[in-house]
Amino acid sequence: MAQLLTPDRAVTAPRPAALARHMVGMRLALMRNSLRGDNVTNLYTGAALGLILALGTIAVAVLWPVYLPLCLAVWLSGWIFGPLLIGGGSEALRPEYFSLLPVTPGRIAAALLAGAFAGPAPLITLIALLSLPVYGWRFGPGGVLIGLVAAVTTLVTLVMISRVIVATIGLFVRSRATAAAVGVVTGTAIALCSNGWAPLIALGGTDSAAWSHVLVRVLPSGWGVAAVEAPWPLAVAILVAAAGLIALLLTAWASLLSRRVVSAARGGVPPRRGAPRPFPAAGGARAAAAKELRTWWRDLVRIQLLVTAFSYAVVSPLLLVTIGAWMVVPFTGLIAIVMAAASSANLYGADGTALWLTLMTPGAERADVRGRQLAWLLVVGPAAVVLSLTGLLVSGQSWAWPWVLGLLPALLGGGAGVVVLLAVTSLVPGTDPHKRGGNPLSTGADESAETGLAWLVLITVPATALPAAGAVLLHPWAGLAVGVLTGALSAWGLGWIARRRLEKRGIELLNLMKHGPAPQPGKPATADLPLRHRIGVTICHTIAWLPLFPQGLVPLVMKIFGFEDPVWFLALHLPPLWQWPTIIFMIATGLLMYGYAFLIPMRLSSSSPATTTE
Amino acid sequence: MPTHREPALRVAGLRKAFGDHVAADDIQLTVPAGSCYGLVGPNGAGKTTTLAMAVGLLRPDAGRAEIFGVDVWSDPVRAKGLIGVLPDGNAMPERLTGREVLTYLGLLRGLPHEVVAERTGDLLQVLELDAAERTLVIEYSTGMRKKIGLAVALLHAPRLLVLDEPFEAVDPVSAATIRAILRGFIGGGGSVIISSHVMPLVEQICDHVGVISDGRVVAAGPLADVRGAATLEDTFVDLVGARPRATEGLAWLSS
Repeated sequence: MAQLLTPDRAVTAPRPAALARHMVGMRLALMRNSLRGDNVTNLYTGAALGLILALGTIAVAVLWPVYLPLCLAVWLSGWIFGPLLIGGGSEALRPEYFSLLPVTPGRIAAALLAGAFAGPAPLITLIALLSLPVYGWRFGPGGVLIGLVAAVTTLVTLVMISRVIVATIGLFVRSRATAAAVGVVTGTAIALCSNGWAPLIALGGTDSAAWSHVLVRVLPSGWGVAAVEAPWPLAVAILVAAAGLIALLLTAWASLLSRRVVSAARGGVPPRRGAPRPFPAAGGARAAAAKELRTWWRDLVRIQLLVTAFSYAVVSPLLLVTIGAWMVVPFTGLIAIVMAAASSANLYGADGTALWLTLMTPGAERADVRGRQLAWLLVVGPAAVVLSLTGLLVSGQSWAWPWVLGLLPALLGGGAGVVVLLAVTSLVPGTDPHKRGGNPLSTGADESAETGLAWLVLITVPATALPAAGAVLLHPWAGLAVGVLTGALSAWGLGWIARRRLEKRGIELLNLMKHGPAPQPGKPATADLPLRHRIGVTICHTIAWLPLFPQGLVPLVMKIFGFEDPVWFLALHLPPLWQWPTIIFMIATGLLMYGYAFLIPMRLSSSSPATTTE
Repeated sequence: MPTHREPALRVAGLRKAFGDHVAADDIQLTVPAGSCYGLVGPNGAGKTTTLAMAVGLLRPDAGRAEIFGVDVWSDPVRAKGLIGVLPDGNAMPERLTGREVLTYLGLLRGLPHEVVAERTGDLLQVLELDAAERTLVIEYSTGMRKKIGLAVALLHAPRLLVLDEPFEAVDPVSAATIRAILRGFIGGGGSVIISSHVMPLVEQICDHVGVISDGRVVAAGPLADVRGAATLEDTFVDLVGARPRATEGLAWLSS
């Protein structure tokens, strides 16, 4: 009792092991608490897919060991680009939480690293890395042993690389240039994911095998394979080097974390020089557009996402040029429009509860919706037009002129309409901008929901251009008129619906952002579906685009125009007799999957007995 | 046409439940025109919920709210023209400077450009925000956010000000400025309702007071009637029920 009444003079810092244990416990508690509703489905689906990939990697080690280093390089790229693709990485344990602990940054970093391992992704990666001891079996018991050690060091290295990248982004993305640089890297990475096969084919050949053989072993992911294959002394040297790399990464991470905690940048505001330009003396939509344009220019998240969209649009057609396919180049500007729409799909969610001002200003809803549309068109439109004209002129594909000129106004109008409509109907709540943490590229929104929203835009925006495409098929130049008409109609009409919706349900949107989704018995989320359907729906949402677009509609267009280069389109590899049935089968499969994914939740929720509550 | 005989704000039977938790239950309040009304209550009593429902930022499960006789939920456009609101903890157009925020909102409200420019300059100067001409709202301190929120509420010269915790995180000098602004506003015929934890402050500037506890109004009326002979603080503690004192806990803190 006596010592309770005096201040503790001999407070000792927690021991590293205890610190790590608490960190793991905290991470697991955070995960448990966030495992509600759709998050559970996403976790199960993600874990199931990951497990399949991990077992596939082990199968590669058994059956085609030549490709094992390449597979492991893919896991490495997942750890590198994963955090970039989901907006700077989700950080369950933020270093800011622990900045006041009386512990050195190095120990905090080590403990946070332990926390970083408490999750499904490292576990699944570890299973994939068990391919190393499996591969080692070919070299005897020693190989298995080295493989086991290498599996652990490789896992730690991968997780560390990922953490260092997230920390670097958090610390250095403080200006427009760095945000744009991250955007370029991300856009290129997505382009490589979708079209990276093209340069591989172009480089394919006997002479490339040798250097790629070395390359995949030089990457940190390939050190394990190299160690297993090497004689004993060299193997041990490689493992020691791996341990050294881990120590280096840990030091780098610790210093990044400690710098991040003491540098006070809020919400990703780029530095400014001089006084701001005077606000234009106009009311209504033009005032709202002026506000939006300033936000586009002053928000690093928006800059990064926009650059991602444009760099994807530029890089992915260029990748196809490596195999001599110029046919996509004219459409660069159109791809940019669709991608830019997808990346600005959560316009209202990104502004957070600032919506209250629009709601409290009589009649401001119309100005706000129209202003956002106008600003979006001003941000995306000119660049898309320039890209389209450049693509047309550079590629010399004269057949593409009517297509591009018809689809350009249709997609621009459709994008301007869909963006505001979905921002209102499918808002994903995030953290209010002024409450975001030290990571300027993370909006705090549920990333899987935001990705779902982006996919919805990727499907609906091209759909608004279907009439123009049909008109081009009928007569090349009818497309231009139809495109202008449908573009104007989409922008006006969808914007009108968005405005009505904002007027009627704006308060609910505000409170969704303030308090999160309210428990509404009448509107069950996918979480209320039976688990079987939940997984099915999520899988369909994730991969239905594959049969529908690249394997269905694209070969359809290619066949119509007589491009016979089969590339990676399954249908075009088959005998002519089977080509049309395959294309139709693929399109039908894609449509069925989307139908299932959208209709099952609707049907089950409408048959739910609790619907009468509202 | 609403007249001054109508109360500035009248809410009746307001109720809001979040899941199982009833945040506001049958709230009745009348803010007479020309008065300064203090809404007090412990943390989580339902003050913010009540004010949000009264101004049309949160849809009530039941009940009605009228501003100078105009129903907030059936004629929101007219009601919103009459009030200026400072909500607690909401975001702003974060990537504008203070001057840009006021200019933008003034233009959006349809005020002529010269009027907007003049009022913006006055408000920024009086609230001492004009020095931070290049600072975006997202970089503002908590006190500066309060002040720009107050400027937004005052910009269109409303007849009723609804201020949720206007003095929280505001320095003493700025608090004196805000008090002076409010006194001038009431002197010019305006009405004010503020929510606060700070009893002496409410006693100092308010003539009416309402006490909310656990989502219910436990006392309301002119300040003198509610507090009687005691101070407002003592009355408040009596009304909401004294909590177990913490003096016997935390023994290890004393040396």
